[in-house]
Amino acid sequence: MSTYPPPPDLIESRVAWVFGDDFDIDLVVGVANIKSYDADHLRSVCMTAFDPGFVDRVRPGDIIVGGRNFGYGHPHYPPMVALRNAGIAAIVAESFSPGFWRGETFNGMPLITIEGVSEAVALHDEITLDWRTATLDTADGARIVGTPPNPRTVAIIEAGGSYQLLLAEHAPASQ
Amino acid sequence: MGLTIAEKILGRTTDQGAARAGENHAVRPARMIAYDFPGYTDVMFRQMREDFGITELADPSRYVVFIDHMLTRNDQREAEVHQVTRDWCEFYGIELHEAQGIGHQLTAELGLAIPGDFLVHFDGHISGVGAFNALGWGIRRDLIEAWVSGQIHVDIPATTRFDLVGDFPEGVDSRDLVHTIIEMVGADGCAHQVMEFGGPGARSMAIDHRQGLCGMAMFTGAVSAVFEPDEVSMAYAREVARRDFEPVYPDDDAVYAARHTIDLSTLVPRVVRPGSARVANTSTVEELAGTPVTRAFIGSCASGRIEDLRAAALVLDGRKVAPTVELNVVPTSKKVYEQAEQEGILDVLRAAGATIAVSSCDFCFGYQQPLQPDENCISTGVLNISGRMGSPDANIYMGSPYTVAASAITGTIGEAAR
Repeated sequence: MSTYPPPPDLIESRVAWVFGDDFDIDLVVGVANIKSYDADHLRSVCMTAFDPGFVDRVRPGDIIVGGRNFGYGHPHYPPMVALRNAGIAAIVAESFSPGFWRGETFNGMPLITIEGVSEAVALHDEITLDWRTATLDTADGARIVGTPPNPRTVAIIEAGGSYQLLLAEHAPASQ
Repeated sequence: MGLTIAEKILGRTTDQGAARAGENHAVRPARMIAYDFPGYTDVMFRQMREDFGITELADPSRYVVFIDHMLTRNDQREAEVHQVTRDWCEFYGIELHEAQGIGHQLTAELGLAIPGDFLVHFDGHISGVGAFNALGWGIRRDLIEAWVSGQIHVDIPATTRFDLVGDFPEGVDSRDLVHTIIEMVGADGCAHQVMEFGGPGARSMAIDHRQGLCGMAMFTGAVSAVFEPDEVSMAYAREVARRDFEPVYPDDDAVYAARHTIDLSTLVPRVVRPGSARVANTSTVEELAGTPVTRAFIGSCASGRIEDLRAAALVLDGRKVAPTVELNVVPTSKKVYEQAEQEGILDVLRAAGATIAVSSCDFCFGYQQPLQPDENCISTGVLNISGRMGSPDANIYMGSPYTVAASAITGTIGEAAR
């Protein structure tokens, strides 16, 4: 269940990392740590294989950018818990692996599909993302537009995750 | 414009009675299945009761739970996990099957994989029911939406059609086919889609091979896979189904995202190197010949059925597993186990030096006799990611039962003699 607040309408942020195609999300914390939910431990191993200083440099609201089929593999939840705790507010990729997409959409993470994004931005670029319309303004003023999430997915993200939306729709009135 | 099998099956389950690829609908599964696993079913049951106040299910017959994981250590933790499951299933009146085999296979044997039906599970390998012209979709934690509301919102998927022709050559089966398809279309070649199989080659495939193929659909990015119905699958369904059913055929003018023809007779044995099932990891057996292995595994929801065991016995009959190799065979269900025993298959495998384990998921996810660091295993399991079958420092190669059996004999990856 998500314990994270919904993102702002406009995510004004910085590109924290750019991954390539078929990125296996387990690699964010390493296979040895994919069953851990200990926040301190996940922080200590988050992205160390790519950039040991990542969690100290990342800022709240930063985004991750990916290539095609982001999240390919057997997407466990802890790597995204680690990235969320580090401040990542959204992932924008060329496309998402279905299992990862469903699992993290359930958790309320905006996963936005924009073709060409991995070429249009670079590490540490200051960008603005309108996640509802899948519109990203790049550091040099260009605008790229992807496929907006459907209304149900928007409702999930606005609710802070599928479980929160389900509670709003089906929990007994007394609760 | 005509409809695909997936559009027709899902369309039946919507309030509107119709669905088209690209639309988002609330769909109503005929069955909502799970296996018990700590942090999943135990939590979901508690959420239903405590967060949603559900003390009685509107239609308990739509819920099915299997106890097929964590069966072999016989420790306190196992006992507690399963007792929680039994208690909750009794509380809600949910059908529960324990220690009868892997749930994805039992779904078929128990007559739950009915042609034209839509089934959900949190595990993606439920797509194996596509062999019976049912549509199985692994929806991960969204299963709680189905369990609470009786429906699940999905984007209706587009379909890629595979027209199969020809027959498998000797020593080649559905594992070689699925890895060939991944190589052909890519690890996201059918992303967010359904794979639809038909044609004379599809009709020539044994049910077991169809199940194995459909169960691996996720490795092309597909959300499910489904076969056109034919006399073979309908005969199976008529024997086990608990009610009347209506099989679903695609329209002649169905709209597909892509269409491919594959001649099964041209396939060669494939092995997937450790790491993932992605395209770059797929090799021919010939390319990897000589790679040493110390462990071999034949089983799983993809490849432990009677045809798979027959294939292994064909290779191992009168031969011996190398003394440096441990070969474990896990029939996919108790029923498969008993049939293999009756056919004498298990005796052949035992005589060759294989160990036959009870039907469960435990070898496949590293719970039973986990791999040790630096071991090489050749497996018919469903995943070869690091740590899947034990140590993250072990290596898992994946291949067909023919290839695994042949490799077990020599202690190196190799092709079954054809």
